[in-house]
Amino acid sequence: MNWLTPMTGAILAAVLIPPLILLYFLKLRRRPQPIACTLLWKRTIEDLHANAPFQRLRRSLLLFLQLLALLLLVLSVMQPQIQASRPEAGKLVMLIDNSASMTATDVEDAASRLEVAKQRARDRIESIYSGGWLTRSAGETMIVAFSDRAEPTAGFSGSRQELLAAIDRIRPTHGQTEIAEALKLARAHTSNPVDPITGEARPVGDLPRLELFSDGRISDITDQVIWRTADAEDERPFVYHRIGSERPDNVAITAIEAQRPYDRPTTVEVFAALLNHNESSVSCDVQLSVDLTTMAVEEVAIPAATADPDTGALLPGRNNVVFTPFEQPRGAVIEVANLRDDDLAADNIVRAVVPPPRQLTIGLVAPRSFLLRSVLEGMSLKRLELLTAGQYERLAEADGLEAYDVIVFDRYAPPTADLMPPGRYLTFGPAPPVEGLNEYGEGAAQIVLSTRGEHPALRFVNLDQLFIGDCRLLQPADDVQVLAEGTEGPIIVAVSRGAMQIIHVTFDPLDTNWPFLRSFVTFVFNAVDYLGHIGAGVTEQGFEVGEALTTRLPATASNIELTLPDGTVEPLSPGDPSRLSWGPIRLTGIYALSWNEPETDEIRKRFFAVNLPGESEGRLDAAENLAVGQETVAAATGDTWGYTPLWPWAIAFCLAVLMFEWWVYHRKTYV
Amino acid sequence: MPDFGVPTQTPPKRVDELIGSDLMARLDQVDVMSRKIFAGKLQGERRSKKRGTSVEFADYRHYVHGDDLRFIDWNIYARLDKLFLKMFLEEEDLSLLIAVDVSASMHWGNPSKFIFNQRLAMALGYIGLANHNRVTLYAFNSDGVSPLPNLRGLRRTREMGEWLLRLEPSGGSGFNDAMRAIALSRQGKGVMVILSDFMLKEGYEKGLRYLAGGGFDTFCMQVLSPEEVDPGKHGLAGDLRLTDVEDEDKAEITVSAALLKRYKRNLDTYCGKLREFCVRRGIMHITIDTDTSLDTLLLDYLRKRGLLK
Repeated sequence: MNWLTPMTGAILAAVLIPPLILLYFLKLRRRPQPIACTLLWKRTIEDLHANAPFQRLRRSLLLFLQLLALLLLVLSVMQPQIQASRPEAGKLVMLIDNSASMTATDVEDAASRLEVAKQRARDRIESIYSGGWLTRSAGETMIVAFSDRAEPTAGFSGSRQELLAAIDRIRPTHGQTEIAEALKLARAHTSNPVDPITGEARPVGDLPRLELFSDGRISDITDQVIWRTADAEDERPFVYHRIGSERPDNVAITAIEAQRPYDRPTTVEVFAALLNHNESSVSCDVQLSVDLTTMAVEEVAIPAATADPDTGALLPGRNNVVFTPFEQPRGAVIEVANLRDDDLAADNIVRAVVPPPRQLTIGLVAPRSFLLRSVLEGMSLKRLELLTAGQYERLAEADGLEAYDVIVFDRYAPPTADLMPPGRYLTFGPAPPVEGLNEYGEGAAQIVLSTRGEHPALRFVNLDQLFIGDCRLLQPADDVQVLAEGTEGPIIVAVSRGAMQIIHVTFDPLDTNWPFLRSFVTFVFNAVDYLGHIGAGVTEQGFEVGEALTTRLPATASNIELTLPDGTVEPLSPGDPSRLSWGPIRLTGIYALSWNEPETDEIRKRFFAVNLPGESEGRLDAAENLAVGQETVAAATGDTWGYTPLWPWAIAFCLAVLMFEWWVYHRKTYV
Repeated sequence: MPDFGVPTQTPPKRVDELIGSDLMARLDQVDVMSRKIFAGKLQGERRSKKRGTSVEFADYRHYVHGDDLRFIDWNIYARLDKLFLKMFLEEEDLSLLIAVDVSASMHWGNPSKFIFNQRLAMALGYIGLANHNRVTLYAFNSDGVSPLPNLRGLRRTREMGEWLLRLEPSGGSGFNDAMRAIALSRQGKGVMVILSDFMLKEGYEKGLRYLAGGGFDTFCMQVLSPEEVDPGKHGLAGDLRLTDVEDEDKAEITVSAALLKRYKRNLDTYCGKLREFCVRRGIMHITIDTDTSLDTLLLDYLRKRGLLK
């Protein structure tokens, strides 16, 4: 409660109250009255004292009432006002951020930022709807929880209980913070004459005021606009309740990569990238676990975050960790965890699912020399099949090439494009009939001028010693990637046409000294391995929070169940198991999909790793200001409560007390 | 407006102001009635249980040595050869004791309780004298008991009136000591009337026990003024400091309906307890408002209550 003019009231009280008490005591000077015997009177007084606990008060009831009236008068002069929300008649939308960053624990007296946000929202609801008869509000409020998608937990309502229950229903997610959908939802609720939740028709009202409970790290906030202007001078159409501290502590693992080396397909190498969002360098232990068994712990030092000299934004410090390769002939769930205790646990673990090593089936078409065959035979392949041109063409016509991961053309080119169905091809010699590879003649001897060593096919391939005696001149299209350029033109190119991937070498190795160079074998290894594993990857497909989990199961799969990271099991009944989809994903962790295959009656399982999307949620420092479109909204300082003057009530009570005093006085004098 | 409770009456100066001739004439027709037949010292108009010397035969009894030979029935001796004594009913006089409270508190109220008592004592004494009863008056307060003993016959009426006119209310009541002194001084049996307001801080129980112990037919006449019976009706209001006229005791009150209601309830309770105490001890209790006229009181009320006939 505040007092606008306390000194005036104090002076008035000092002037009025002592004289009243003095007058009252003067009035109480009793008239002497002789009486025959005081015996019965004393007994009567004693009786009244004994039977009326407030007799003393009653005896001075008039003084009490007059004092009360004077005090109320003084109070009204002091202009008291209580902190309470202004009566809010319009519509209000509370946007509560439940993204991953809101699970941070850099708050006091609460489990997480989200709990603080919910408590602030609850307080706000209480202030609006629990002000009692002094400050009752007639407005309606809507609650929307948002992360990468928005969820209205309560439509516009004036029920305090309903709104509090809606706030309690909000659960944390690991999604990114995007506010656009929440704003669309709020707008839809006011512009749409039919309530999208209840389906009831309602009149179109004014656009609502917005109150945002968030840490302010909203990726798309600058793309939004505050649609409503203030009706009153002191009204704020957009209020930002800032949740979280300015300097939280967070080190995040943002990426994981698992590989099986070419030469050791039963081993796995794991890489992880770490970000330090703190302004001081940190050293943390990073633990590698395989199928929940700890395999290694590495200490990693990460430099401090630095300010971008251009934008001033804080750029996190980065470092990577590479774990020693370990034997893992079977599939495995790999976890890399940051053991350092910081404010955000959600980005301290990343996961990947490594499938069993995959061995390739290679088709070698029209081999005219033992060279390629012997190199391929030296690789660890599942199968190497030698095909004649006729066999190949028949298979191509009968769509029988799907069994081959990579098809190698040894100085062979299909006569027509129809005979090159989508697939992966490594070709030597004549250019395959693919758009973009245009041969225009044969060139003279040449050497290699440049190579793109970063391409997987040319990794560790040194072509400096290569001398090409005879080759075909190629005019590649713009979308054809030239991997090696000779003195006469491109000599190795990569073509990507959707499902068709081609690496084409424009010369016959036998026309060069390449077979005598170590780089030839390396190139064939790289190219076959690259083409064979394009799309499949070393790890299973990973997902991010907010995406839908999609996979293909056998069409006959039954009893499909998805086990979530928190242990809950959701039975799925898709119409077509070969196109199974579930989502959106709300939490990070390992999702296990299990199903029955009728032929074998065997329970099959597939694991999916879900990680945080991007790096944005790792930045935890709560924003002081929000740039909403062209406007900057400062965080609400303290609260959004207003003040309600109480002097009219004091005057009213004073009048009531005076009337009661008048009645008491007359009742006393009546006897 | 007169001060609350302060007597405004002019005190009687002469005996005829105490009791008028009209009233006297009417009182000639009434007599003091006792619920018992009392033994008196002198032969009077009362029939006594005591066998004696009247002409009315009562009984025979065997002669014993020392009996008066004059009362031997010789006829029976002649017939039966045995000595029998004739016994006769004896007529005796009635002792009427009237004790008047002359404490300061009695001179209060309108009409004054003291003046009312003076007149009532005069009237009762006159009835006693007119019927040849032995009348004794006592005036008592904290200074002690002042008696006017053994009046008999109407010629003592003036003496009795002048004695009453000389009384001055003062001091406390000294009720218990006075009753003790009266009980010790009275002899024989008779009717005793006590005129007081019985508003006694020291309590009335002890004093009344003295009286109940004797053979007297006792009447307690509790005389209260209208201001005591209903103070609110007679103008008691405001914030007052009540002062006891006897002992200067103070009581501060703020008159309210609740207070007056509680006072009346206390008065009823007090009078009820006094009545109960008296009844348990064979004492007749009568409450009299000084508003009551003496004619009505003596010729109607006290007759109904059995003091007069």
